[in-house]
Amino acid sequence: MDGSLPDPDGMTAETAAGGLVARDVGMVYRRGREVTEALTGCSLEVPRGSWASLIGPSGCGKSTLLRIFADLVHPTSGRATLHGTTPADARANRVFALVSQQSTMLPWRRILENVELGLQVARVSPRERRRTAEEMIELVGLKGFERAYPAELSGGMRQRAAIARALTLRPRFLLMDEPFGALDEITREKLNFELLRILQETGATLLLVTHSISEAIILSDEVAVMSARPGRITKRVPIGFGRDRDRSLRDDPRFAAYEAELRHALHG
Amino acid sequence: MTLPEDVPLTAQPDILPAMARDAAALPPIPWHRLRRIALPLAVLFVALGLWQWITASGRVSPLILASPLAIAEAFGRSGAEILAHMGVTLGQAMAGFAIGNALGLLVAIIFVHSAPIRRAVYPVAIGAEAVPVVAVLPVLILWLGNGMAPKIVITAFLTFFPMLVNALRGLRSADAEVKELMHTLSADARQTLWLVRLPASVPFLFNALKLSACACIVSSIVAEWLAAERGLGHLIVVYGARYQTAEVWATALAATAASLAVYGLVTLAERLAMPWKTR
Repeated sequence: MDGSLPDPDGMTAETAAGGLVARDVGMVYRRGREVTEALTGCSLEVPRGSWASLIGPSGCGKSTLLRIFADLVHPTSGRATLHGTTPADARANRVFALVSQQSTMLPWRRILENVELGLQVARVSPRERRRTAEEMIELVGLKGFERAYPAELSGGMRQRAAIARALTLRPRFLLMDEPFGALDEITREKLNFELLRILQETGATLLLVTHSISEAIILSDEVAVMSARPGRITKRVPIGFGRDRDRSLRDDPRFAAYEAELRHALHG
Repeated sequence: MTLPEDVPLTAQPDILPAMARDAAALPPIPWHRLRRIALPLAVLFVALGLWQWITASGRVSPLILASPLAIAEAFGRSGAEILAHMGVTLGQAMAGFAIGNALGLLVAIIFVHSAPIRRAVYPVAIGAEAVPVVAVLPVLILWLGNGMAPKIVITAFLTFFPMLVNALRGLRSADAEVKELMHTLSADARQTLWLVRLPASVPFLFNALKLSACACIVSSIVAEWLAAERGLGHLIVVYGARYQTAEVWATALAATAASLAVYGLVTLAERLAMPWKTR
């Protein structure tokens, strides 16, 4: 049992039990003699069930930090844990789901089959995976398009399908890397609020990488601002909007204040 | 916790363009399609007419070039014989086609899963492709006799390489994002093969199949020239020796038809296999 628990260095019992934790994560890329420091001393805590965003200038390593949690890259120093386990164990136990900017659909599979992919890999019975996939397709508002091929849908719809696929395994953690970055402003904002609704319904913990300040405010309990390379977290701004958020959020005077605060933090 | 009223669950506006597109797709009168068939047919008839005119005028000896009408008569005379031998050639070609392509795909799958084997064997395989098999045909006939076996071996050999090269490319064609997706889903190698690599390689596999669809008939015929008692190649040799030029042409036309039929079947299978591309 002890082996599965993280080191007690400065970690509170609450975060160790639940959320996403990065401790002093550093990332150095070596190519020949060239050494690039992508991340340095990054520490982050996202308590279970809460929502956090990473914003920062492009190339600051915010995606790298997310990819460390997703077990796609390994940090050169420090450690990252999800629910107290390493990213590799978390991946094996299918504790998290990743949604990237490209919806990454398999073009030869219909939408329903694409959404079923994760369940199929997890060897869930065909009947059960059909039922779950249909449920998630309905949740993301794609009902009626189960039999379409990805190429027949718009970018926004494909991204909905990618979110449905991520939700099928009922992940505790949603890791989203600029999920709406390729979409137009209107679709993007609509999907922001739909994602809010889905997050509230599923209770998942969210870590979102975005370059949009307003998206970060809408979708976060805390926004972490990162500096340019080597990336480090320079400021953490709690967003006090609570849970039942809707479109009137933008009219709240605090929204503009958060926006200004984050903009100043971003531009030094 | 209630849902905001202005967040609809279904029928999002970004759905509409796709639906509108479907509704607009009423079938127009296919003039361009008619033209696509009629123009080549016209060229073919003009060419046949010229051919008939040249041969009928006596400028070219019928021993050298049989007239289209003479070829048609040859079909009437020897059609049954040609058909019987075409069956043999087609059988050999299809057997070699199946074996060569299956082996090519299998070796590609092995290569994809083992870098050491790929590095060791692939260069040798590419080198082997350069062997002019027709040159070793006499040896094959010594080994395997003058029945169907050497023809099948040659055809399999020639169809193996296009499949190996294309399948290898196809199996590795999945994007980095798809590989990352399968990684985060904790998919094992077999799942990745069946769910991603093989479906992604389908267009590449059909490229190889189309390349070898015609080649398999040609290689089978060439092998029959050298030593055979049956088959279109054997028939051409026999007719040639008897100066039955019209029959030689008729046999060549039958071989062409067989090649086209195989090619057509592969193309049809390609359409059926990739509904996401043709919809």
